[in-house]
Amino acid sequence: MSGGAVSAVLVRPVARTVPWRTIAVGGGLGLLLAAGPRMWGDGATDWLALTALRASAVAFALGAAFLLDDPARHTTAVVPTRRAVRHGLRLALVAPVAALWWTAALLLVPGSLRPPAADVTVEAATVLALALTGSAFAIRWGDGTRPGQAVAGFLLASAILAPLFSPGSWALFVTPDDPKWALSHDRWTLLLCAVLAVGAVCATERARRAGLRGLRSPSGTSGPSRA
Amino acid sequence: MTTMTGTTSAPSAVTAAPRAARSAVFALAGFEARRLLLRVPVLIAFAVYLAWIVWRTRDSFDGFPALQDADRATQGGPLLVGLAVLLCANHAVLRSRRHDTDRHFAVLVVQPWRRTVAHLLSVVPVTLLAAVCVAGQFTWEALKPGAVGHGSPGELLVGPMSVLLLGAFGVLLARLVSGPLAAPLLIVFLLLFSMFSTGAGGDGWTRWLMPSVGENSSLTLPSDLLGRPAAWHALYLAGLALSVALLAVLLSGGARLWTVRVGVAGAVALTLVGVVGQSRGVPEETTEARTRVSVTPEKEQRCAERDGTTYCAFPEWGPRTDDWAEVVDDVRSLVGAAVQDRQLVVRQRIDARYGLDGDAALAPSARPGEVTVGTSWGGNRVPEFAAAVAGVLVTGKEETVGAMCDGRMVTVMWLALADRPDPMADLRGVRLDDSDTGSAIVVSQTEPLRMTAAHTELVRELLQRPRDEAAAKVRANWVELTAPKVTTDRVARVLGLEAPEGEDECL
Repeated sequence: MSGGAVSAVLVRPVARTVPWRTIAVGGGLGLLLAAGPRMWGDGATDWLALTALRASAVAFALGAAFLLDDPARHTTAVVPTRRAVRHGLRLALVAPVAALWWTAALLLVPGSLRPPAADVTVEAATVLALALTGSAFAIRWGDGTRPGQAVAGFLLASAILAPLFSPGSWALFVTPDDPKWALSHDRWTLLLCAVLAVGAVCATERARRAGLRGLRSPSGTSGPSRA
Repeated sequence: MTTMTGTTSAPSAVTAAPRAARSAVFALAGFEARRLLLRVPVLIAFAVYLAWIVWRTRDSFDGFPALQDADRATQGGPLLVGLAVLLCANHAVLRSRRHDTDRHFAVLVVQPWRRTVAHLLSVVPVTLLAAVCVAGQFTWEALKPGAVGHGSPGELLVGPMSVLLLGAFGVLLARLVSGPLAAPLLIVFLLLFSMFSTGAGGDGWTRWLMPSVGENSSLTLPSDLLGRPAAWHALYLAGLALSVALLAVLLSGGARLWTVRVGVAGAVALTLVGVVGQSRGVPEETTEARTRVSVTPEKEQRCAERDGTTYCAFPEWGPRTDDWAEVVDDVRSLVGAAVQDRQLVVRQRIDARYGLDGDAALAPSARPGEVTVGTSWGGNRVPEFAAAVAGVLVTGKEETVGAMCDGRMVTVMWLALADRPDPMADLRGVRLDDSDTGSAIVVSQTEPLRMTAAHTELVRELLQRPRDEAAAKVRANWVELTAPKVTTDRVARVLGLEAPEGEDECL
């Protein structure tokens, strides 16, 4: 079978293993947060709307951090389909959902308070890419079957600590009325590209060197169980 | 064998079971506490918290903290630890589910509710550690030589209590929702929610439902006029933490135990008592005392006479008299013989009528020879006070200083700054726009002063001259320099400076 045909066959089983519920919970809370400024009424400010959108993006990304969790990982390691294809399939399944969800989140923020859509989208995409790259990284360099929880914790810690402690000169967390807004989003775009590049590298299978590690079966049928 | 166990263990099992279960709970609590303290998020949170304490407390309050403000400043940091504890306590409860070992626990003597109790107890050591950090931060402030006032135990308890509350909340959440995503999402929600509620500046009693309640002002009041229900709020937090903890026990199978049910009822009652207590607003006596202190401060103050100056301070600020006297003596040493022996009264004044929210400017004193000093000190407050002293020495009355717009301003600013360690930095510090050229407003405790570009030029030139030479010139020409309506050009000529080029119009 060609690669394309294999992917087509894989779509249905992969769609069933995607943690839709977790993503739905994260996305649901995200929409709730994005609706915050609208529910708040007159008291809402530009800054509050932007913060709500950022928090909402983090909420969705936290859900998406569980996307690559695969309890059957050790049994699928031997299949001829490359990891890039398997990860790519999951990503392709979630991408339209994420796009729809983000559109809804943007529309939930009242038009008068909405920050420039394209720029905020870059920020949201970076957070999402960070979550997925984190998972791919954990899978490539680790043996765990469910890196989602650790990645979500890492993402959460970064989301809390980065605005608090990143130097003001980096200008990553600025408001639209700040003169550095455009510069800031050039940096966000750069960051997004860097994260995506790392993610692409992480989607490849690690070449195992000969030696003790190479002798261990990834299927878990020999050697101590690593579940 | 059977007879042996039948005869010997039956009675002991009856008496030993509760004790065995209790020691099992404590053993589990000890184990979980150790794991909790060593989890990466908690370690990071503590590292960041400690770094924040050191970085902030080194130069907080300009080295002159009022302890009734310093206690409030300990409340924000522990929230970060609390969030990490929420996450990790939640993960710890869900660990058995994650590793699919739940069913193995069915064979153990420790029932689910006892496991919950152990998880709740495991939060206590982290709370104590946070309490140690809070105590350390506050003690550091209290040991600073410039510290005055009194801290409140109620305010200091808020930090550790929020850690306990958030930890208990993490355990409760794990008993309610078993997904691993619940805790991170809750944290995002809590953070945004707290931003909404502080951004909107919630008023009245709802404001006090948050764990830590800040104030939007930098005004320092005497500790008995704060009007913050600190003790009630600590009680509310304790009640809430207890309610959440007991609810978690209740949900994990403790509902059969009447002690737990009674405990939940008691804890909820305690919380409600706290809510009612903290929602009653500012007490009548405090409002009256605030008015008294604002309108007739002289009745509340103690005065001390030193080298021809009387210092009147609120009782808590007594130790600060020395710092004020140092500035007054510095300025006095530069003035002309005519006013060298002028009687001055340095009086501390505040406008406490609007509480901590009020930011009303004080009206300048109308009494001759009276200088106003505020409740904060250090940093820019020192040259500001020096300018006020110099102003009163030059014009005689604080009221006339604000309206002054002539060459005397040069003398006032030079007197205020000449004896400071870094006069140019202080000049920038007291000016509203932090500039040292052009015209600007000079900040003061009462009415602001106005410097024209010409004044600024002359003050800069004068400050660059050797201090003794300039002082001799000022002393020799004192009467002329301090004559009302003296022009800036005239001042320049008298002092032997070049005529200023900048414009000489007050804004």
